[in-house]
Amino acid sequence: MRALVKDGVGVFSPQGFLDGNNGAVFLSIEDIEATTKLNVDMILVSLKRVVFFNRNGLDIFVKMFTKIRADKHIKVGFCDYDMKKFNAINNFYKNDISFSLFATQEIASLFSSHFKHKDLKILLFNEDKSQRSALAIELHDNGHNPVIAQTKEEFLNKKNTPKAYDIIIENSLLGQLGENVASRVSGNAIIYTVSSFLDAEIGNKFNIAYHNNSLNVGFRLFIFDAYKVVSMNIHALNFFSRLSSAAAEYNATICFVGLTFDKIPLSFKENMEDSGIMFFNQMEDILENKDLLEELGASSSAGVNKRVLNKGIVTELPQFIQATVATIEMMTNSKAVKDAAKIDKIVIDDTTDKIASSIGFYGSIDGMVILVFPKDIAKKACQLLIGEQTDDMDLILDTLAELVNIVGGKIKTLLSDQNINVNITLPRTYQNIESLMEVAQERKGVQVDLSFDNDKFLFFLTR
Amino acid sequence: MITNENINSFIEKIPPAPQALKVTLMLLNNGELVKAAQIAQTDLALKSYLKNIVNKPIYGFKNEVSEISQIFGILGVSSSQQTVYNYMISLLSPDKWTLFKLNSTLFSDLQAQLSRKWKIILNHLNIEDKDIESSIALLPASIIVTEALFHDKKADVALIQQSNDINFNEIMIRLCGLDIFDICQKIAQKWEMPKKTIQIIKASSGEKPIDDKQLNQLGKWMHLLLFYELSQPQFIQAELNNFINFNIEYVEDIYDDFAQLMDIQ
Repeated sequence: MRALVKDGVGVFSPQGFLDGNNGAVFLSIEDIEATTKLNVDMILVSLKRVVFFNRNGLDIFVKMFTKIRADKHIKVGFCDYDMKKFNAINNFYKNDISFSLFATQEIASLFSSHFKHKDLKILLFNEDKSQRSALAIELHDNGHNPVIAQTKEEFLNKKNTPKAYDIIIENSLLGQLGENVASRVSGNAIIYTVSSFLDAEIGNKFNIAYHNNSLNVGFRLFIFDAYKVVSMNIHALNFFSRLSSAAAEYNATICFVGLTFDKIPLSFKENMEDSGIMFFNQMEDILENKDLLEELGASSSAGVNKRVLNKGIVTELPQFIQATVATIEMMTNSKAVKDAAKIDKIVIDDTTDKIASSIGFYGSIDGMVILVFPKDIAKKACQLLIGEQTDDMDLILDTLAELVNIVGGKIKTLLSDQNINVNITLPRTYQNIESLMEVAQERKGVQVDLSFDNDKFLFFLTR
Repeated sequence: MITNENINSFIEKIPPAPQALKVTLMLLNNGELVKAAQIAQTDLALKSYLKNIVNKPIYGFKNEVSEISQIFGILGVSSSQQTVYNYMISLLSPDKWTLFKLNSTLFSDLQAQLSRKWKIILNHLNIEDKDIESSIALLPASIIVTEALFHDKKADVALIQQSNDINFNEIMIRLCGLDIFDICQKIAQKWEMPKKTIQIIKASSGEKPIDDKQLNQLGKWMHLLLFYELSQPQFIQAELNNFINFNIEYVEDIYDDFAQLMDIQ
């Protein structure tokens, strides 16, 4: 079974009846492991379309959850259930629930570092006080404003206040924690979240492959959100020093935000500074200071990509074009025509009413594909995924990211047929050409102008 | 990906029901079992299919049943008619399945399981109606239609499904305005299947309730029965479990009754 991956949450959705006979057929450990490679920080099984389950059926999933959480340090559990199913699960496992429960996928997304809608006002309630606190802390860490109801009565009163909250959470809980080092993208900076006591385990929890790939596709600023770090030992110090030295080869910068040295020897700070790590008190000190961002490498001018297209990537150009054309044709049921191709910096003649998306790839070859659409064509291309016509630009951009993800997946498959193995990064969208040009204007690449039923569309392959 | 032209071309390619089958069904409909068996005997493929189906373990006959007249006699008019319809649907199935991990044996197992349990449901509901009993035969046509239209699009659909909760049926609706069950309906019309069959199949999609309350209720039973069968390990392995959406809310009012009838614990 394949998982649907959205906002860093991988969700498997079995349908029908679930028991000890079919649990292992619905989902295998290989299915879960394949999903964890897609950079998810949560694996869930949706019970939305399961009409019947028993303890034996759930046990099969729970055993797999336990293994995956231990190996990958990600959240695991169930979602999309009603009160009856929630009670049944609680009844089966009583006080021994080691997995997370999220009443809906939307609620689960709030606990994912990939979820980009921040600052939501959230009302939450759980009978268990420690669960209430754990939920609230996680939500706060992810940039939301949780309001905790201390009693059921208070919860019901607040719940009935119209439009007071963006989301209401009940019948949800966090299982045993032990998450990976979470990552998210903010502008052109990658932010990692670390917490508690940092020791040798950081080497296991930190996704070094993701980090290296981010360096390869041009990210130059990496920020460790360390507000919740209590202390660290020499092993963690060595880890960060090595990371910073490696980043220096790419002219990249590593910063720590919110790290206090009450319980960490000051000599550690000096060592880290010697290896090039910078320290800031508040995240806003960096993210809201454009000059500083430029200096640190998170803007186009500082992060100019000097790498040029190489033979390996140009040879595979037909695969990239084919993947893109086939995907757009599939989504629109229309035929594509190639109008022109050239190797140079990206040129977009008319920048009005255009949006763009990009996706990086790395492995045997590395680079980035940028697609530029007129808004109307983007809407058309996304219609199959959205299911209806819409003018909601956030929804269109989200769906465009999905579409580019599909292009990336197809590129991966086509290259794999040529024995070239690549992985793809998360897609990025740009709501106007100005924001795209901040990243792309200095890059040289192959630009191909295409049209679908006379609608113009631009493909750009760069490194 | 899928266009209305693809769908029209698929429907056009469906051959009309063979003459021997049409006559067999007409005679069965009139209750003339002996004459129906004589005609059925002339279609060797039908004869072989009937023998194969009736001698499956779920029918529980101790000795092999080989004569068509014997088979029709054992099954009775309603079940004979249903089995002949099952055969007609199997004529549409591909030589080689590629989208689903099926083969002719597994497909006929699915037909047999659905038919047997549909009979149990109708007995439970005190319904004796040949056309209603036969309606279950059309349900697996939805799987054949999906295979026919998407067999060369498996990788594309997998990529879409990785980031979007969308199944084959929804892809068809969004691209062509038709769903898999609309196409089953067209097959049924082409083969002059009873009107009730078409109505129940429409309701069994879980997407389009129909006005006739009794037939709609039967559509719910069929929807639930389909997912009961598609939850069996061999059909999950065949990747049939999520080719359409299971609509739990739709079957809510009959679930307890169903669970008791199928002894689900």
